[in-house]
Amino acid sequence: MDLPDRAATVFEVIKGRRSIRDFDAKEIPDEHLRIILEAGIWAPSGSNMQPWEFILIKDRELLERIKLFSPGLFGKPVAMVIICINRKISERAGKLGDLMPVMDISMAAENMMLMAYALGIGSCPVVSFNKAALRELLNIPSHIDPMLIVTLGYPKEMPKPPRRRPLEEVVHVDGF
Amino acid sequence: MTDSSRKLIEDPHFKLLSFLISSARGCVDEPELYGSLRLIDAASRLIDVMEEEGLVNEDLLKLRDLIREKMDLIMYDETGFIEFLERASLELAKIVKRVEK
Repeated sequence: MDLPDRAATVFEVIKGRRSIRDFDAKEIPDEHLRIILEAGIWAPSGSNMQPWEFILIKDRELLERIKLFSPGLFGKPVAMVIICINRKISERAGKLGDLMPVMDISMAAENMMLMAYALGIGSCPVVSFNKAALRELLNIPSHIDPMLIVTLGYPKEMPKPPRRRPLEEVVHVDGF
Repeated sequence: MTDSSRKLIEDPHFKLLSFLISSARGCVDEPELYGSLRLIDAASRLIDVMEEEGLVNEDLLKLRDLIREKMDLIMYDETGFIEFLERASLELAKIVKRVEK
């Protein structure tokens, strides 16, 4: 199907992004890190609460220390963003305060990973890390909940796209 | 931080220790099969440590290559991942069998 230019570009970025687990040692320019973070804050959020906090890690030694407590983190990323929920903000969402901010930060993470890909930078979302260890290492206060790490670095290679469940299987029109 | 503390946290044994303890905690919440993933990943990391200490042979390095190549199967082919674990066990048995009594 022919898509208008803007849609084609967006779709190419969405389909081209891969989870990268093998990174080059080349540094990412600060202005690119900044625009990746800025893409995060433009994500939608329930009631526009923007319950996120982003901890950017660039220090090599600190990256190595975080890796010690992150079994799901592969390769040697040159930067990472630890995406946290600010519980003082999210508690204002009432009973939805547990679920909604998780969706909000997920959308922020996807924005960041898509922007990274558009800049030629690889990324990988990582949930398997030890929260208590991260809190201790980075002096994270108790109302800030580290939820997701997005690793960043230039890919050594682009993996093949894994299989997607086809539209026919997952889409249900006018009822399940 | 003292030099000896820095040396400690940069030591490959310490890195493996951290991986094991963090994995032990992580496995409480993770999918069941991730226990196997963490163990086989730890095996690969242990071969790295053994390599640094000059304790490996070609067969063991081939086993590590197999682990590195197939570990990702867990994300898209659960049956294939379990078959790979079976094969890794078999390869290890072959290494042991080749050693003369």
